[in-house]
Amino acid sequence: MTQADEAPLSEEQLSEVIARYPDRTGDVLSILERLQEMHPLNYLPKETLIRVAEAKRLALSNVFSVVTFYSFFNLCPQGRHTVTVCRGTACHTRGSNLLMNGLRAEIGGVWADGQSSYTTPDHELSVHTVACFGQCAMAPVVAVDHEIYGRMSEMKLRQRVRQLVRKESNDEDS
Amino acid sequence: MKIRDFDALNDIRETGLNKLLRGGPRIGVGMGTCGIGNGAQDVYEAIKTAMDTKGVEARIVPVGCFGYCAAEPLVNVYIPGGPLVILAHVIPDDAPYIVEEIVAGRIPVRKALCRIDAWDHLTGHVTYGHGFQEIPHWDEIPFFRGQKKIVLRNCGLINPEDIEEYIAVGGYFALCNAFQKPSRDEVIDEVQKSKLRGRGGAGYPAGMKWALLQKAVADRKYIICNADEGDPGAYMNRNEIESDPHMLLEGMLIGAYATGAAEGIVYLRAEYPLAVERLEKAAAAAREAGLLGSDILGTPFAFDFRLVEGAGAFVCGEETAMIASLEGRAGRPRPRPPFPAESGLWGKPTNINNVETWCNIPVIIACGGSSFAEIGTSNSTGTKVFSLVGKIKNTGLVEMPLGSALKDIVYGIGEGSPTGKRIKAVQTGGPSGGCIPAMHFDTPVDYESLGTLGAIMGSGGMVVMDEDNCMVDVARYFLEFTHSESCGKCVPCRMGLDESVRLLEKICNGDAEASDVEKLEELMPMIRSMSLCGLGQTAPNPVVTTLRYFRDEYEEHIRTRRCRAGVCEKLYMSPCENSCPLNMRIPAYLQLLKEDRIEEAAEIVWLDNPLPASTGRICQHPCENRCRRADEDAPVNMREVHRYIADSAFAGDLIVRVRERLLENKIPPTGRRAAVVGSGPAGLTAAFYLTMLGHDVTVFEEREEAGGMLRYALPEYRLPKRILNEEIGVLEHIGVRFMYRQSLGAGLALDSLTGEYDAVFLATGTWNETQGGITGENAPDVWHAIAFLEQVARSHRPVIGGNVVVIGGGNAAIDSARTAMRVGAKVTVAYRRERSDMPAITEEIEAAEMEGAEFVFLASPQRVVINEKGRVTGIELRRTRLGDFDASGRRTPVSTAEFFTLPCDAVIMAVGEKPDPDPLRQAGIHVRDNQTAAVHPNTGETNLRGVYAGGDLVSGASNVSSAMATGKAAAHAIDRSLTGKDNMDLVLKTFSFRNIVPAEPEGGDRNVSPVLGVGERRDSFDEVVLGFDAETALQESRRCLRCDVKEQCADREGALKEPVS
Repeated sequence: MTQADEAPLSEEQLSEVIARYPDRTGDVLSILERLQEMHPLNYLPKETLIRVAEAKRLALSNVFSVVTFYSFFNLCPQGRHTVTVCRGTACHTRGSNLLMNGLRAEIGGVWADGQSSYTTPDHELSVHTVACFGQCAMAPVVAVDHEIYGRMSEMKLRQRVRQLVRKESNDEDS
Repeated sequence: MKIRDFDALNDIRETGLNKLLRGGPRIGVGMGTCGIGNGAQDVYEAIKTAMDTKGVEARIVPVGCFGYCAAEPLVNVYIPGGPLVILAHVIPDDAPYIVEEIVAGRIPVRKALCRIDAWDHLTGHVTYGHGFQEIPHWDEIPFFRGQKKIVLRNCGLINPEDIEEYIAVGGYFALCNAFQKPSRDEVIDEVQKSKLRGRGGAGYPAGMKWALLQKAVADRKYIICNADEGDPGAYMNRNEIESDPHMLLEGMLIGAYATGAAEGIVYLRAEYPLAVERLEKAAAAAREAGLLGSDILGTPFAFDFRLVEGAGAFVCGEETAMIASLEGRAGRPRPRPPFPAESGLWGKPTNINNVETWCNIPVIIACGGSSFAEIGTSNSTGTKVFSLVGKIKNTGLVEMPLGSALKDIVYGIGEGSPTGKRIKAVQTGGPSGGCIPAMHFDTPVDYESLGTLGAIMGSGGMVVMDEDNCMVDVARYFLEFTHSESCGKCVPCRMGLDESVRLLEKICNGDAEASDVEKLEELMPMIRSMSLCGLGQTAPNPVVTTLRYFRDEYEEHIRTRRCRAGVCEKLYMSPCENSCPLNMRIPAYLQLLKEDRIEEAAEIVWLDNPLPASTGRICQHPCENRCRRADEDAPVNMREVHRYIADSAFAGDLIVRVRERLLENKIPPTGRRAAVVGSGPAGLTAAFYLTMLGHDVTVFEEREEAGGMLRYALPEYRLPKRILNEEIGVLEHIGVRFMYRQSLGAGLALDSLTGEYDAVFLATGTWNETQGGITGENAPDVWHAIAFLEQVARSHRPVIGGNVVVIGGGNAAIDSARTAMRVGAKVTVAYRRERSDMPAITEEIEAAEMEGAEFVFLASPQRVVINEKGRVTGIELRRTRLGDFDASGRRTPVSTAEFFTLPCDAVIMAVGEKPDPDPLRQAGIHVRDNQTAAVHPNTGETNLRGVYAGGDLVSGASNVSSAMATGKAAAHAIDRSLTGKDNMDLVLKTFSFRNIVPAEPEGGDRNVSPVLGVGERRDSFDEVVLGFDAETALQESRRCLRCDVKEQCADREGALKEPVS
């Protein structure tokens, strides 16, 4: 992790997005969503929040309240790869908790049950949960780098995670 | 190009119909998110490539989802003149075949699921054509039978990204229709007449809400579409938008026109990117066509909408919370009144409806409110789309008229369990809903009936749960969800749910006391009545319903620290161990075998199961149903491995060392004496453990040898007597004494036993045949299955011959059939249901068939036909048909008027066994209505102090491992009562072995045991299944995924190097 990776978005990028939603404070959600998506590490740095608060003439505490209320927003840099485990009812009845256990065992991370995300210290991988992907017919469902994989098993998921990491290290070697 | 009037719209309809029906073949690939997740994008590309390669002129378009998720990817093919044919499970490799067939003017029948000759889009009608009658019509296949597609009228048939196709099937004509009504009031009238109720969950009448908004006076009004489908387990809104976005736009346009709103907002969750994309595209197309914006369809009416992506907060489904969110704040609800219709978004009058509510509107306007109201029930009109998911064969989106029975949805449309496991409940309505147990599946699905059961309709999620789901865990799961989604505003919700989750966790972890359930019951009404919004008010429902219908599971978690479903991890070692009635430490013996420590493997096998060779042959192996290796390929063949271990012990001198180890582990003599009456599996097991626990045990057996049903009912070819004798020998070696020809009630008096012994365990089994209740049943050539099997077991001689008809579908029926064939008979098995309903072990049914048994299904016995000499000449059967679903999800056989006779020389009745209640009654033991002994559920003690009972005598005819489990439990209870100590753990010992989870599935494919060829076995009683050799047993052990290992060293390599205890 270098300093550059953590740098906030450029002023041009920020202004462009804010200008897209000119009218109401109601657009603050949409603005924050776009800005997070644009950030290479998929999060909202403090500077971004300050800038949005200024532009929309809101107290920073209001923006912070929004960002912490919705599960979509991240306040910490995310991993280069993302595994999102669906915790919907259909997935739960088909064993998504086993997938979470498998991930814990695989990446060696320790995170509390209540916590909805975890990023490895090397920022290679973030693990998220989602309330439901709406892909219930394929339960249990996992998204790996936003691509949906259905009928996942603990073993298959662990293999997939290993592949991700291995592929990365191979890429770096070459 | 702007559409200015009706005629212009009609012109576009023609253009659209040309796309659907004219100009050569057309291929539609179902490309909703779930289709794409199943590979539809690749299928689309592959078909395109195949067409390019062949230079084919055909159109290929993406369409939405037709709802049958279990059959994805779905492709539809239309060749002008013929029907539209839907292909299922299409993979990219099918592309060349599909294209070739279409080029030749044929339908790719190999992949065909069903055909559609004509389709009523309700706003329009499309006639495709006829032909291909061999392909079933869409409403003839189980998944679609009984469905009524109103909301899903266009889904999967038109291209959602093409406004012309929507117009082709009558789209936007309802809007024209609304404009043509004399006044806006009449539009609202139609909606009120339809009695449409909100589809988001609460079921508030939509027309009434509209009328309120219309009457509100303000410079600006808003309508909002709630597409923040937050209920886990529900995805109909996603599909509705992805497959037919214009229907939502049209519904909102009509609503805006009727209520005078100029701006609409769709609040759509960010987790649905494809829905966002398609709705944006649809809006752009509608704007271009002049259907959004100003001067719509050439009228002064103006309306536009914008899309806001929700950022993941369940509570935003609550209307006042959603408004807060739209205003850029955290989504916390506020008290009502004022209702949004008076003061909503930015303080202006606002109406919020769910996606599906809006989608019904064009149909109501096109067809009239009163005709809509004829569908469904009088209070719940129309249809509802349900997402049928979880443990169900046909997963998918199902649209049913309201008032349809739950069982028709679960067993009819869904076709029940995909694995044959017992379905336990359906969870409806997501976290606000409840769990409806199978016994209530005849409930009609409407707003009120579900409410009566403690559940709600909600957004229509239906998650089917089977015996592998723990209902306490389900309650905890939902409360964890609502707890984490609580906005925190109301203390009862925020703190009450927190406390509830803590209590539920205690129960799931086995740390709870009975008072914790009482606390939960106290909290629930408090949270319900004192929370501001729907989230808090309904959050208790999952707890309340599971407590109401599955209280026994809560009690089991608390009192016996057991989670029978094998979900609550703290309460079991591994799923296989948990599902084994004897709790065999399966991963342990597999691991010990892998480590080449067979002596210890044999020891642990014997300590857990004193009949490992017998059960290794005949157990119903519930362990395999739970094995997680099944998710990778196939379950581990655990039963065959312990058979191998036991057989190897008997094959050499290993058994000597095992016996020594058992003796070493015996508790020193306690000086207490126990009597066991009956030497079947339950009695032998109780005797084994009582002896190991240091008591002096005598077994009293009515017959001349020990083993009960194992000896006298199980045929030699399944369980050789020498194996049983070896196992009984081990019991004798550790000190069990046997007394034969001792019959309870006839010579052996319970009084004298209770006088002489400190405890008595009764396990006399079920040796009385249930009568079939038909004439001629007592003729000399009519056998009862157990009597027949015993006769053959004693002599191996034919007692029967010629043509034999066996009545029944259980294991006794199949054992009788295979035995009768071995003594020379020709056998037909008659069963009143269908093959898939037979309770016998599948492998046994298949083996009987291979050996030449014939089967007649859907036939119930009426009368044994007897000639003047009193001999059987045939059996008259009555044809049955399958009627309604019963509580087990099987269809009940219903008699028809058709009779037929099977000529035969003998009949074997195998319709069930029950205990002989007379000796029990004489001894003063309480007997239940079904003739079984009544005992305390935890200890197995009868009403007489010190007298325990178990096995089939208590459960009714069951299986070997369940019977043994009752013997084990009774021994444990007797020992505790006699010694005041708990010595069972000492007897069972602990074993050390490596605890490493394999990184990849090891051991290759599942191994099955070799069997004797049909020719060799048909006429002999030689054992059929031959068992594993050493190498195969080792290989099979390596397939275990070691689910028992809960925590392992993070550094796998390091763990491998040091042997772990």
